[in-house]
Amino acid sequence: MARYGMALDYKSCINCRACESACKAENGVLPGRDNYRIWVGQKEAEGEFPNISIASMTYHPSQCQHCDNAPCQQVCPTNATYYDDNGVVRVDIEKCILCTYCINACPYDARYVDDRTVTVDKCNFCSDTRLANGETTTACQATCPTKVRTFGDLDDPNSDISQLIAKREYKQVKEHLGTKPKLFYLL
Amino acid sequence: MNNFSIKNLFEFNKTPLNLLVAVLGIVLLGAFLAGAAYYILHGHHAFNVTRQHPWGLLIAMYVFFVVSSTGLCIISSIGHVFGVEEFQQIGKRAIAGAIITLLSGFAVIALEVGHPVTMIIYNVLTPGFTSAIWWMGTLYGIYLVFITIEFFFLTIKVDHKWSKIFGIGGLLSGLAAHSNLGAVFGFLISRPTANGVFYPVYFILSAMITGCYLLYIIYGFKYRNDYPEQLKAMFLKLNKILGMLLGILIFFEAWKIITALYGTMPERAETILHVISSPTFIFGEVLLGMLIPFAIILFTNGQAIKPMVYASLTGMIGIFFMRYDLVHDTLIYPMTMLKRSEYQLPPTFLEYFPSATEFAIGFGGIGITIFLFYVAEKVFNLDPDREH
Repeated sequence: MARYGMALDYKSCINCRACESACKAENGVLPGRDNYRIWVGQKEAEGEFPNISIASMTYHPSQCQHCDNAPCQQVCPTNATYYDDNGVVRVDIEKCILCTYCINACPYDARYVDDRTVTVDKCNFCSDTRLANGETTTACQATCPTKVRTFGDLDDPNSDISQLIAKREYKQVKEHLGTKPKLFYLL
Repeated sequence: MNNFSIKNLFEFNKTPLNLLVAVLGIVLLGAFLAGAAYYILHGHHAFNVTRQHPWGLLIAMYVFFVVSSTGLCIISSIGHVFGVEEFQQIGKRAIAGAIITLLSGFAVIALEVGHPVTMIIYNVLTPGFTSAIWWMGTLYGIYLVFITIEFFFLTIKVDHKWSKIFGIGGLLSGLAAHSNLGAVFGFLISRPTANGVFYPVYFILSAMITGCYLLYIIYGFKYRNDYPEQLKAMFLKLNKILGMLLGILIFFEAWKIITALYGTMPERAETILHVISSPTFIFGEVLLGMLIPFAIILFTNGQAIKPMVYASLTGMIGIFFMRYDLVHDTLIYPMTMLKRSEYQLPPTFLEYFPSATEFAIGFGGIGITIFLFYVAEKVFNLDPDREH
């Protein structure tokens, strides 16, 4: 039993998007405009020429925040969305009725319809494809060339992620909504 | 019950208006079946909904139908539940309408929800008690049972005691179900324009207004503006009720807009500003849905009946736009989530226009309503008992 989360040293991101490719390959995400579990957002540089702030241009890798208080789980009429033993927010495809209420309710745009199962799909920290096989990293973390992502057990004080968020400042996204996200953007 | 046969089903006065409604009903029913077939073949790809705009016209039409059902139930309860005599004559027809519009709504939503059979199974096996959709769906199921039994005691085995008991049950479950439908939107913390107390309350109010409009249309069509005295007395009271409800609705809407704009809260203020400058709001919701009927009631001192039948037609178009905007406006602000240039352009308001399949299924639902109402008029005696 763990409580998995992810810390992102996002200022190290070089926007190579290897994480996106690795995620798609690992989890069999189909091609398509709306089909992605993770993404890299880009914040445009601020200012006007010649006073452009290069430092203000940053990349924001993102995905499901695996909230401790997930709106998508609360609104699910059949409890198809659930927290597994490791605190990962997952979808039981047997129970999903594809009402897409969770897609509306998620403040992080983390969900989409998977055409393979015709149910809602999302990041599950590679629970089926890697964690179930005893691996301790996600595909996006393993492939990242600049070590942006650190995945691990937030309840283990000795884990890398616990050490990181204990020692460094971080921000979270839309935490004012009370979702208690488990993605930490290191500052 | 009336004597009913298949031959009887094809017999009606071949007036131009009757023929027009018959053709309209058949075309819409055909559109529904064609849309359903296309959806079964292609799934959600037949719809123009996306990850960013996951709900569309079919959700709006589902709300439109169940709003109609709840509205008819509430207004009819003025008579057979609360005992106001003038309204007792509409009971049977209004409850028949409530059942029919609810079934039409269920037909539409069955083609929107990806796995309706799974829904029925797991709604029972693993209920999501924190989900407004679960409560809404379950309560609407209970509501359907109540109003069906109520209709049974109103028309087939006439028993006013039991019809009143089930009428009260239908009213309470309908109110609960419908405010939960408002909560489906009101609970969305991710959507500042929808989140809050407004929708659960507004849904009940707009349902009552919809019920009034539908009664004008149903009885206007039946009597061709040549009403018996007792119906006139009911309409004059209905005018006053509708005038008051529209006044409250305008008041509610005004304050919703003002509070949303005040302080220019990010996401909420700019969304509402965009919404109130859109033609569907100005011409659809405000002009057709509220101002025209309200002005007629106001300037005729609540005495106009015939103009209100026509105003109810514009009113129902306005109600449709209210439902459509409800869904679209909730989702219109893009959830960019730090995405700026990789998957989309810098944030602009989302665009959505229903696909042909969505139009066919959504508006085809009206064909189901017309068809079932026609059958109900043939099979049951929906007029007050004392006339016969």
